[in-house]
Amino acid sequence: MKEINELNLPEDLRYADDHEWLRPLETAARIGISDYAQDQLGDIVYVELPAVGRQLAKGEEFGTVESVKAVSSLYMPVGGEVTAVNEQLAEAPELVNTDPYGQGWMIEVKVADPAEVDALMDRAAYLKALGG
Amino acid sequence: MNPEPRTTPLYPRHRDAGANMGDFGGYRMPLWYPAGMRREHRAVILGAGLFDTSHMALLTVAGAGAHRLLQRTFTKDMDRVGPADRPLADGRCAYGAFLDSRGHVIDDAIVCRRGPEDYFVVVNAGMGPAVAGHLAAEAGASGLVVTDLTDRVAKLDLQGPASAWILGRVLEAPERAFQGLGYFGFKGHFDRRHPGAAAVHLDDGTPLLLSRTGYTGEFGFELFVEPEQAAALWDRLLAAGADFGLIPCGLAARDSLRAGAVLPLSHQDIGDWPFVHHPWPFALPYAPDGRTFTKDFIGAAALIQAAASAPHTLAFVGRDPRKVAAGPDTRVLDEVGRAIGTVLTCATDTAIGWVDGLVVSLASPGRPEGFDPKGLSCGFVRVERPLPAGSLLVLDDGRRRIEVAVAADIRPDRTARRSMAQMWG
Repeated sequence: MKEINELNLPEDLRYADDHEWLRPLETAARIGISDYAQDQLGDIVYVELPAVGRQLAKGEEFGTVESVKAVSSLYMPVGGEVTAVNEQLAEAPELVNTDPYGQGWMIEVKVADPAEVDALMDRAAYLKALGG
Repeated sequence: MNPEPRTTPLYPRHRDAGANMGDFGGYRMPLWYPAGMRREHRAVILGAGLFDTSHMALLTVAGAGAHRLLQRTFTKDMDRVGPADRPLADGRCAYGAFLDSRGHVIDDAIVCRRGPEDYFVVVNAGMGPAVAGHLAAEAGASGLVVTDLTDRVAKLDLQGPASAWILGRVLEAPERAFQGLGYFGFKGHFDRRHPGAAAVHLDDGTPLLLSRTGYTGEFGFELFVEPEQAAALWDRLLAAGADFGLIPCGLAARDSLRAGAVLPLSHQDIGDWPFVHHPWPFALPYAPDGRTFTKDFIGAAALIQAAASAPHTLAFVGRDPRKVAAGPDTRVLDEVGRAIGTVLTCATDTAIGWVDGLVVSLASPGRPEGFDPKGLSCGFVRVERPLPAGSLLVLDDGRRRIEVAVAADIRPDRTARRSMAQMWG
């Protein structure tokens, strides 16, 4: 298990209580799970993601990640329409472990309310929430 | 409130290696190391893996009447073992269970015969006191002695096809130690004062009990040493095995490997219900009629009586890696959607996949070129009636439904039973 100071938590991302991250893009936002979450889950063997076009509210389940121990829900850090999903994860779910902020991204959403992005934690607040 | 979990002598090694730890059987144990469960599982299939299993308990049953006590309490008939129905020989082990008078499982165990009235009994984590208490109570005022060695012996499991090559590098006179050491055979002793300790030593003089057993379905050994020797043996094996791909493995890989090998987890796949109608009939002393037993033992009458009504435990394999949550709330549905039982274990064997209607392993000789399976869910269900292999079932945990098939076996081409000549030639 990684120590808090070993976690990779990029400065330019926003973080949710449920350990999703969000990267604001030009017209959408990209979402995945944090280094802390993938480290806690262990090897991810399956990822289920929603269909493109789905409208999901903040806090709604958008999919599951299946690890050694359990199937865990993924929750929308913000509400919006799903505009893209990472098809690569169907074949290579381990990318969530090896590159959680890069090739292991999960979905892109058209954010319904930008205030929901502003309400997410920055790196310092997330670190604090993790007890660091 | 649960007491603080105990630790094994290897706890500092797990912590220093960055293992993800969890509680199991009252012990703080590694679930996986930084390599991750998939790589650990695959290491055991293709090379070797090293497990700390010091949470398991060792008992000794010794003195006049030991054999009679085990005949009365253990489900295996110690006088009829193996294909030839011969008495368990010195240096040989047998798998079975200890039952209560209702035929329910107290714990499963491997019994190792050191001599006519002298046995080791290996039981599950935290079960030393319960099994020792049961045996002592049944022994009554006889002259035999039951000793619970919980936390007084460390155990390391070296599992995988490269195990003998790795162990051979740290043993004194490995050819002598391996001589005649067949599947379920054992040699040596962890206590240097014991005369049996002369049989197997490390090259630095450390005595060990070396057993051709395990819980992965793959070729390998269980190594019993005094707790003070455990860390040095761990380090030496990892160093000796590095070029064979040996890595430390946690309980997650142990669980996925044993599920694929159709081995039960005590108190999950076998437990507080009658020990009949399961994939392990060899653990019971069935007479040729397949209904009665060759000996009387505690629980026997209850098992015969329960045969008509007791549930059936069946192995299953899924279509892909997706699992459901095991437990009493997950339903097993038959082909017409009727709920017929519950899921005992659901794990993912990450070394197997479907190829042309057959389950193929990374170790299968006929695997397709570049075969890189994502794994298959597998495990055990307990249902109200027997079903033939191939029967389709749906497992429904309320959030996910997966389709699985009843299976006679799960991971093919396992290596556990291979001879020393094949694996260390």
